[in-house]
Amino acid sequence: MDYFKPESVSEALSLLAKYGNEAKIIAGGTDVMVDIKYKEEPGCLVNIKRIPGMSAIEESGGSLRIGPLVTIREIETSKLVRERLPLLWEACHQFASLQIRNTATIGGNICRASPSGETLAPLLVLGAKAKLAFSDGEKTEPFNSLFQGPGKTSLGSKGLLAAIEIPYPPKGSSGVYLKHAVRGPMDIAVVGIAVLVVPDSAAKTLQEARIGLGAVAPTPIRAIKAEAMLRGKPLDSKLVEQAAQMAAAESSPITDQRGSAEYRRWIVEALTRRGLEQTWKAATGKEVA
Amino acid sequence: MTLTINVTVNGKSVSADAEPSTSLLEFLRDVLNYKGTKLCCNTGECGACTVLFNGKPVNSCVVPAADAVGAQVVTVEGLADGEKLHPVQQAFIDTGAVQCGYCTPGFIISVKALLDRTKRPTPAEIEEAVSGNICRCTGYAKIVDAIALAAERMEGSTLGIASGGRS
Repeated sequence: MDYFKPESVSEALSLLAKYGNEAKIIAGGTDVMVDIKYKEEPGCLVNIKRIPGMSAIEESGGSLRIGPLVTIREIETSKLVRERLPLLWEACHQFASLQIRNTATIGGNICRASPSGETLAPLLVLGAKAKLAFSDGEKTEPFNSLFQGPGKTSLGSKGLLAAIEIPYPPKGSSGVYLKHAVRGPMDIAVVGIAVLVVPDSAAKTLQEARIGLGAVAPTPIRAIKAEAMLRGKPLDSKLVEQAAQMAAAESSPITDQRGSAEYRRWIVEALTRRGLEQTWKAATGKEVA
Repeated sequence: MTLTINVTVNGKSVSADAEPSTSLLEFLRDVLNYKGTKLCCNTGECGACTVLFNGKPVNSCVVPAADAVGAQVVTVEGLADGEKLHPVQQAFIDTGAVQCGYCTPGFIISVKALLDRTKRPTPAEIEEAVSGNICRCTGYAKIVDAIALAAERMEGSTLGIASGGRS
């Protein structure tokens, strides 16, 4: 196996251009090292850990820019994230063990493109954008078109994730990440749901609701039909119920050892309901009528 | 392809060769002969291979040895001061928190990291700190007692959390 330790994005990109599908990018290594041991060794390992400028959390205007090499633990312990993006903090707090959080990077979680990736539904709901570096220039890709299937992103084999930009959610909004797993944070999510609600200024109607579903489709998805049902309406328990059922219908889970498709749809419904109730109460101080 | 790994382990600078695919765990055990760090699941789930990497607990089985160049690594062998055990090690013995012992080095490193960052951990912080360490003898109550006892001894005061009616 060949091994490279590029010191710039352009050096990494030329290695990817040269080695194509043979090349495997490694950052934290928590997934790649396991693949090397139990699946197959790539022809060439490109360790991007030493590329400068990819390890910072920075505020820029109304958004936060996170470098792909920032670890999950660094996000979890960042005051800026805790204050400005509590939804992302919550997902990182429920992300495996401390040992893994100290090692795994947000870029790895994104590029791995696992439907159950802990940060993905929250990033979708926050309207995050990915900065992708290619040899012919940089491209900005919204998260809702970044994921193309399990393990597949629009980076393909030639691109490198350069940064993640996350706009601050609207004032007065409230978000929550709800994970259903047998062994809590240590386990892969059976279902993970991110909900963000934006009430109007009088706290009467929902200006906007965003619902992200993890582990219940080939990619993390937004429940756009459920979101449309909620937009501009006063939130009552009947509407919550309808939206929760719609979110379940929008999911397309598989049956595996962690749960059947039918079970997962039930959990989507239950967590969407709970997420809407919790965020509405957190944002408005009122229970859902 | 062989890489030369210059790394500091338990305060000593060492240099040895490793493959790009070699994990830090294999490097520590099989190349440097630090057998205190245990191989168990080898997939980053059980915590038996926990070491301090630049002061932070990590699963050495999923860290490439290549990333350890220039790093400070501490294994369970690095805690005792000569013949005198580290307070965390002594507390594990005194509370009977060691059963088969296989998970113990990993737990002890996680606890060392906890007490490095928090002098007076809450019961919730104690449980979170070792949630990535699995004990298949399932002696968790005694382990939590040991952590509380170690914290008390290291702080030199009574926190009132040791032996909280658990045994």
